[in-house]
Amino acid sequence: MSLSTHSWLHQFGILGMNRRNAEYIMRFNPRSSFPKVDDKLITKRLAEAYQIPTPPLYHVIEYHGDIAELKEILAGYQDFVIKPARGAGGSGIVLITGRQGSNFVKPNGELISWTDLTYHIFDILSGIYSLEGLEDCALIETFIHPDPVFAAVTYYGVPDIRIVVYRGVPIMGMVRLPTKESDGKANLHRGAIGVGINLKNGRTSTAVHHASVITHHPDTGHPLRNIEVPYWKGMLHIAARAFDMTGLGYLGVDMVMDRERGPLLLELNARPGLQIQVANQKGLLKNLDLVDKAPPDIFTTSETRVAWALDVLANPKS
Amino acid sequence: MKRPAVLLAVALLVLSLALISYRIIWLKYPILPAAPEKVWQLSMDAHVKGGEKETTVMIGVPYTHRGQMVAEERIRSGTLNFNLLREGLNQIGVWSGILNSEGETIGYSSTIQVRPQRSFKTKPPTLGPYPPNVGKEGQSLSKRLAKKWDSLPPADRLRRIAATCKGFWGTPPPDAHDLQAWQGFQEKHGQRDALLALLRAADLPARVVEGLELAESTTHATLTWIEVWTGQEWESLHPEKGEIYQKPAPLLSLTTDGMPAIRVIHGELSEVRWALNRQLINQWRIHFERIMRSDRLLDRWSLFRLPTDFQRTFRILLLVPIGALMICLLRNLVGFPTFGIFMPVLMALAFRNTGLFYGLGIFAGVVLIGYVVRRWINKLRLLLVPRLSVILTLVVLSFTVFALLGNKFGLRELMAVGLLPFVILTMTIERFYIITEEAGVREGLWTAAGSAVVAAITHQILHFESLQLTFFVYPELLFAVAAFQVLIGRYTGYRLSEFIRFRKLRGPS
Repeated sequence: MSLSTHSWLHQFGILGMNRRNAEYIMRFNPRSSFPKVDDKLITKRLAEAYQIPTPPLYHVIEYHGDIAELKEILAGYQDFVIKPARGAGGSGIVLITGRQGSNFVKPNGELISWTDLTYHIFDILSGIYSLEGLEDCALIETFIHPDPVFAAVTYYGVPDIRIVVYRGVPIMGMVRLPTKESDGKANLHRGAIGVGINLKNGRTSTAVHHASVITHHPDTGHPLRNIEVPYWKGMLHIAARAFDMTGLGYLGVDMVMDRERGPLLLELNARPGLQIQVANQKGLLKNLDLVDKAPPDIFTTSETRVAWALDVLANPKS
Repeated sequence: MKRPAVLLAVALLVLSLALISYRIIWLKYPILPAAPEKVWQLSMDAHVKGGEKETTVMIGVPYTHRGQMVAEERIRSGTLNFNLLREGLNQIGVWSGILNSEGETIGYSSTIQVRPQRSFKTKPPTLGPYPPNVGKEGQSLSKRLAKKWDSLPPADRLRRIAATCKGFWGTPPPDAHDLQAWQGFQEKHGQRDALLALLRAADLPARVVEGLELAESTTHATLTWIEVWTGQEWESLHPEKGEIYQKPAPLLSLTTDGMPAIRVIHGELSEVRWALNRQLINQWRIHFERIMRSDRLLDRWSLFRLPTDFQRTFRILLLVPIGALMICLLRNLVGFPTFGIFMPVLMALAFRNTGLFYGLGIFAGVVLIGYVVRRWINKLRLLLVPRLSVILTLVVLSFTVFALLGNKFGLRELMAVGLLPFVILTMTIERFYIITEEAGVREGLWTAAGSAVVAAITHQILHFESLQLTFFVYPELLFAVAAFQVLIGRYTGYRLSEFIRFRKLRGPS
């Protein structure tokens, strides 16, 4: 078909939506494993079993009645994060950085009252943010204090790292930097910046805001290129282990860099977006094909897979 | 990996083709089952008022002869008696009885299959008398004027006479004195009787026919024309314009030989309404009576054996998979966004009642109202299920307002609003709100436009009568549709929209 093989998209090795769905997700991601990634609570418990660090969990609210004891529980924490266990695309997440009287403070300085906060939790419980509108539970987690390395190119909020893992091999990564427009969230479609990462040395390469290539952060004005991502090797290993943990062959692994705790697994995605190709200015197909042609013995452990990725994928011979 | 899917698609196509060939070759089905034939639904209704005496209403109705077949006649007579009488070449429906002060509504309807291709031989008619009011003087004037065409064949004579309506008398021109006298004659007797006199003078048998124009129409008045015998057949002539109708004439006669189509004794007829509608399904019922009697397997299992009401449902239902195929194409090949997967198909089905224009209008209106209210309602922080219920109530409320407005302004299409899928609209409002919140108004409008386009295309497909019939006769075509769906399901190439999405990659690198 001319639309698939002779186009410039194919020459650039771009993976399209149809091919991603049919050849990778449907082939390598068994439906039965989806709950492991769609429910953050399950992901968290699995990660514990695999000794992958995640942001510490303060509390889980499962029923409307649980709200009563919440005030007492929250009293011990200055800052925290409330998120729906089954939320998609960062929706329904509220960050609290402090208190002012009886109100809570959001990262942008806005105040949120106790009533509003409980209403938000009710919303989460009734499934507004959940993928299929199913009843959900709300997680209250540690507030992440991001590693200062991206402080100059982050407009409040927490930057995160996305690594796409194919059959357990990390094949591409990017940093997602929140902007004023994205309201502190690290989702590209909300206006966050995507920055490609060099697989070998973990340094940032090109940056993309919406569909255009940029060199400086639109809010802070600092350059985006050539920043070294801390704990890069560690994150590659976490990403590779996430495959062992879920059995999903085509996986998006989202991580954050906490100042004290180092890299933490935030969430997993069984249908990672294609935008990572724009951030890296590079298609996924080439690395996908290389993994498919790799000798079978490299797949034995997460260490061998990462080592192979650093050796082969990060040193293109062409 | 791709092979099993392609094999399945090929197998489905072969199965579809095999069944169709079997029907065509062994069961002798028509190759083009949807060739439009002329079947019409005629209906008449009127209101009769009477006095103390018995009222009689006589209305000419079509009957079966070689040029047409009349079936499924239905009569509405209320308290009146009804009889069918033959009067010469006419069939007359007679409603009679004593009416109360409110009067009575009478009605007639039938299905008429016109068979124009059959040239039916009739005994040549005898030459009738001159129109009753035309005196000796007028007769001899007509004779003098028509004399020069005596040697021509009848059809040509007719054409020359028809041309005189426009003032063309040909060469040599008639005597100036005669021409002036003719103008006076026309004014005195009217164009129609003048034409009849001239036709009689040229020895052409002619008769006055009253009826309707065969076209999708609703009318309050009948049409009158002249039929002229030209040796082999009757030709129809417009009595004022002098134009000869192309054969087959698009006319349906109700009464001939000058008999009025409607006669009322001791009463008054008002609100007479004649309606003609093209009908295809009945034609198929006529055409496939053979299927009903056949004991071949595929004939016994034909959809034509279903009761008519259910047949209608299936005519539409069988096209729904094509709508789904359209959505597959637009989403997986083009990359056009739509709300939900099959929502546009459901919209298209609903548009059948409202029409496309009003359907899209109502759709846009309700989503807009819903969006505004949804935005406002967000501040109330209602829980999910109650909030969706509020939106649902709002949608039903908007439907009510639309229906009432439709009633006020006499727009049936607006009144049909109740058949729009309100649950789908409710979910559309919610999705539209979430998309505009999360991805911006532009994305929301783009998705709405996508849904509207798909709904419009699907609506046009569902409306395509020939296609409806083709699928109805050959339901195995669904296997072919499924084959294409399977093929699209294995299309792993790029979507057109991805050429735009990744266009920035082409430049710098």
